[in-house]
Amino acid sequence: MPEDKKEIVGYRQQPGKLDFTRPGSGGSSPNSEKRDPSMIPQSQGGELDQPWGPHRHDDLVTGRVIGKRTPLIDSRWKVTGQAVYGDDVRLPGEIIGRLVRSDRHYAKVLSIDMTDVESIPGVLATATGIDAPSAFGVLPVTKDEHAMALEKVRHIGDIVACVAAEDEETARLAAAAVRIEYQDLEPIFDMRDGLKDSPDPIHDRGRYHIGESNVQKRVFQRFGRISDLKNSVASYENEWTFKGVNHGFTEPHAVVAHWDPRGRLTLYTPQQVPHYVHRALADVLDIPMHQINVHRTYVGGGFGGKSDPFPHEMCAAILARKSGRPVRITFDREEVFWTNRGRHPSRITMAIHADKEGRFSGIETDALIDGGGFASFGHVTTYYNGVLHTAPYEIGAFHYTGARVWTNKPASGAMRGHGAVNSRCAVEVGIDHISEELGVDPIDLRLANLLPPHSATITGFRVTSIGMRECLERVRKESGWDKKFRKMPLGKGIGVGCGFFISGSGLPIHWDPNKFPHATVHLKIDMDGGVTIHTGAADIGQGSDTVVGQAVAEVLGLPMDMIRIRSKESDTSPVDLGSYSSRVTFMNANAAVSAAMEVRSELIEAASSITGLEASCLVLGDRRIFNKKDPAVGVSYLQALHKAQEDRGALLASGSYRTPPMGKMHKGAAAGLAPAYSFSAYVAEVDVDIETGRIKVEKVWAAHDCGKALNPLSVEGQIIGSCHMGLGQVISEEMKYGRTGNLLNPDLLGYKIPTVHEMPEVVPIIVESNDPEGPFGAKEAGEGPLLPILPAVCNAVYDAIGVRTNELPLTPDRLYRSIEKACKQRGIKDPRDLPNPSLEQTSLSDILIRRAKDHAKRDRERRLNPNPDAYYNGQLFNRHNTGPPEENDSDWTVQVLPDQEYLENPKLAGSAWLHKERRHMEGVE
Amino acid sequence: MKTPAFEVHMPKTLDDALETAKHLHDGGHDFDWISGGTDLIPNYKWGINSKPHVISISGVSELKGISATRIGAMVRLQDIVESTVAHPLIVEAAGTIASVMIRRSGTLGGNLCLDTRCFWLNQSETWRKSIDYCHKCDEGTGADCRVIPNQNELCVATYQGDLAPALMCLDARIHLASHRGTRSMLLEDFFQEDGITRNVLETGEIVTHIQLPENSANFVGSYQKLRLREAWDFPEGGVAFSVGISDDGTVSTINMASTGFESIPRKHIELIETLDKGPNWALEAERLGAELKRAVRPVLNTWFPPAYRKKMAPVLARRAMEETSKRVTSG
Repeated sequence: MPEDKKEIVGYRQQPGKLDFTRPGSGGSSPNSEKRDPSMIPQSQGGELDQPWGPHRHDDLVTGRVIGKRTPLIDSRWKVTGQAVYGDDVRLPGEIIGRLVRSDRHYAKVLSIDMTDVESIPGVLATATGIDAPSAFGVLPVTKDEHAMALEKVRHIGDIVACVAAEDEETARLAAAAVRIEYQDLEPIFDMRDGLKDSPDPIHDRGRYHIGESNVQKRVFQRFGRISDLKNSVASYENEWTFKGVNHGFTEPHAVVAHWDPRGRLTLYTPQQVPHYVHRALADVLDIPMHQINVHRTYVGGGFGGKSDPFPHEMCAAILARKSGRPVRITFDREEVFWTNRGRHPSRITMAIHADKEGRFSGIETDALIDGGGFASFGHVTTYYNGVLHTAPYEIGAFHYTGARVWTNKPASGAMRGHGAVNSRCAVEVGIDHISEELGVDPIDLRLANLLPPHSATITGFRVTSIGMRECLERVRKESGWDKKFRKMPLGKGIGVGCGFFISGSGLPIHWDPNKFPHATVHLKIDMDGGVTIHTGAADIGQGSDTVVGQAVAEVLGLPMDMIRIRSKESDTSPVDLGSYSSRVTFMNANAAVSAAMEVRSELIEAASSITGLEASCLVLGDRRIFNKKDPAVGVSYLQALHKAQEDRGALLASGSYRTPPMGKMHKGAAAGLAPAYSFSAYVAEVDVDIETGRIKVEKVWAAHDCGKALNPLSVEGQIIGSCHMGLGQVISEEMKYGRTGNLLNPDLLGYKIPTVHEMPEVVPIIVESNDPEGPFGAKEAGEGPLLPILPAVCNAVYDAIGVRTNELPLTPDRLYRSIEKACKQRGIKDPRDLPNPSLEQTSLSDILIRRAKDHAKRDRERRLNPNPDAYYNGQLFNRHNTGPPEENDSDWTVQVLPDQEYLENPKLAGSAWLHKERRHMEGVE
Repeated sequence: MKTPAFEVHMPKTLDDALETAKHLHDGGHDFDWISGGTDLIPNYKWGINSKPHVISISGVSELKGISATRIGAMVRLQDIVESTVAHPLIVEAAGTIASVMIRRSGTLGGNLCLDTRCFWLNQSETWRKSIDYCHKCDEGTGADCRVIPNQNELCVATYQGDLAPALMCLDARIHLASHRGTRSMLLEDFFQEDGITRNVLETGEIVTHIQLPENSANFVGSYQKLRLREAWDFPEGGVAFSVGISDDGTVSTINMASTGFESIPRKHIELIETLDKGPNWALEAERLGAELKRAVRPVLNTWFPPAYRKKMAPVLARRAMEETSKRVTSG
């Protein structure tokens, strides 16, 4: 036993004579560690290399936890089974709720008869739509959901009524005894039918309804030099079909609602976005928000699938109110699929053009997405399918038409990589095709077309830090790309894909004129020295509790064991907008840093008054505040804290974050705006069984630019997890609808999530581009890393067998069909005789390599320059070297409504614009 | 999901078990046998033909034990995979079943008696109600077959056990027992071509063990399985192939059997009869594969479309033959 610990035996507190407590500095280790110069940035006199320049948070670095592999602080609860998930909540007197679901695709509800239910002993409450007629939805502009069906059911599994009973068996019996009379309506399953006029549109938007169709949202955007598209020398055009995928999280939805004796509601729910549930509950239950406490339980995986306010949450609250007992509802897996909110099934026509200098003269995208029965996040998804591929490449023109339609299927919504994944896959496969047409290496082509740091994209997104080039260079080197690409035997292949994603959304969903912050963090520190962090950010397994703890620990120079997080209850947490759009690390850790800065200055002031040193000479280290020049002179953290507490008790601090004003003014300009963007590049190596069409992904080199890895362990986890999830969508996962429109595989045997056997070795590569606004330079790492795996695998399959795909998932049967087609075209009988693709490099290669080299130099200069010149997308084409192109270039188009010429020959999704909104129709007021 | 309530009977001997069955039957009680339960219990949870009584045979010692020529019905699949005495072809096929965890529960008897599967069947009650039910499990609803509409005579649900084709290729006999006595037959005669009847087992009758011919060690074979993922998934098609090698090194028997294509596993005796047993048998892999493709008749009720499954039959057959040939050569 160390000396210090021995002394503690028999130790009695003698007020005023000894230090307040042992160990003297707080924390589990009694000794303060020396500052490790390798963790202190160069800008602060340390040895930490800063190839991307200094950061505004450099002076806050104490070298304690940021950048160190830190186990998630809740991990032990999870691995020991002590974490309380939705279904683990047990309250006295609790009863079981069960939802009665539609067995019709689309029908009017004529009557609901509860007679048989009420006579079942043990049934304590029943409810139907009329008990809560207020509409809700995650987006204020598209509130189209109800706790239970009001007039119509819109898909099989839609909720019609609910019951609560003493136990599960009785509840199930009761649910089965509800007699519902329906009048069937004509359902639609094919998203293309959603574009047409219908006798019974699935929803009625009143004056804003688009024709009599099922179009929920449509987008038209045309930017740049459209006329230059004719000068292209290489083009890719393909019609893609993407099947819908589900998040496949481990924990099915579960909720417990409890009205306490004072009449307040506590809702226990595994939610990503507790705040929106809070708002929706108030609307639906018709009670003020302050009467509700939303208690986020541990979340057993969300991935976007637990970010809507849900009908079952409303039902639990309604049943609990009626029965006067706590009500628990837990889903079967099938119900998870019926609730869905997974990635939209999509039909995307992607066209990419390149000019003779190997520049992308334009991208034209038409995306029709299948929303299922409800709006959910679909309004945003419709934009994201276009605007999120306006980077990382500089493009001459951008034309996007998108439409989201309702169909009689479970609602699609937000899922990891929201809206960006499918069209990104098509873009990256298109670039692979173009590089082949041009006779150049696809990595060379990409490297010669990247936007520089501190630039504006074609639609006006502000890109600050960008590590795309480094990502590509790293995967090229580590995968041995130059030795493998187009050089492996038939059946073996290698492919590359890139990604670009938002790090938080610029505008909050509930936009507030009051300038509410997006994230707020409160700190409370009392005499024990431990820091209690109150935050509303939902830890959904991504480690947000850990990262906010790390941010505070770093600034205050504390070990993680002195940090405790209270993030579960809306009663005690400041409002946070939730865990979606990869916003939490960026926004919440920024809020945490600013709260911690407040405490830090109070501690320094206290230390200054004890030591008599100037505050500017003092720095924080491990539980000590000391003279920068003479570390021996200083006070312990606790001494400073207690001094600061004089006459006031616990220190309290609040910090918040709000995005700066950004972006342009055109309609839809806010969609995709983010305070920072992440970039990634993957190389995948595959082995294709050319006789069966089976793909085995052997190895993936995955580089992701997350700005700064606050916790490399967690970033690597996100990269590997993203690979797994994206891999599912590219090789096996799909929600399969049969000829009757029924979902055939609402279970985890039929819904094919890759197993450990399918999982390749993933080499995570972290690129740190030091984002100026991110906390300590950090950007997101939770969603962006999913994007590149899809195209990387598709391109690797092409390299392996020379077959291009336009349909995902690329299951063996689908790939085999393409192989058969390729054989037929070439008159080959045995697929094993197919030609192996090869690359004959043209002279354009040298031009691209030279340009990439120049650009690399340009980018290095720009990122180190504190005030770089403005750079607008389009400068690559030498048309306008100063100012926004729309102001300087008379041929530059900015168009957000289709013109007559387009409407004469619209693309698939674009044809949604053929309808007039009802309010613009003649005779309609 | 909630498993419906049932009463479990736990006999300790085979006689006990058969007596319990007779007793329940005579009393007019419906029951199922349960061994590992990995097939039965999920079906119960889905409300598929659940019964008020189940007789667990896990305590019946006569049904256990594994040797080179005999495997008891209660032998766990993972025990076969880890066995040093079981025939390599059985070990290979057993190793492809589901996952290790499921194999630690599932048994030989259960795998052979696996219920047939179908997209329109293996669903919850609410789900099946939405398609007006399925005639395999929702008796009394007058439901039609959803795979091939307008007929409710034959059930085309697919048999997806992995062991049956491997055992057929070893000329295995299956032994059954009931309170009326015992009987045995070649495994291929055990199955009956209907997704509902499935096999010859009568109420109260049970599989006791599998018996292989004394010379089964002379058989060399291979099992090839078509599936999307390398774990969990049932075969979307499976082909086993074997050759029996005489003492003089010549081929005396050739067998081929398939599973996952139809409502029963099938031994392709007629196809094999066309194959020359001479030293060049392996060269006919392409032809035999093409004939197998013509012989199998998958329908649209499993994960892969039937056209693809049919096209994969020759690939599986050829690979099984090539692999067998390789194994013969390497001794």
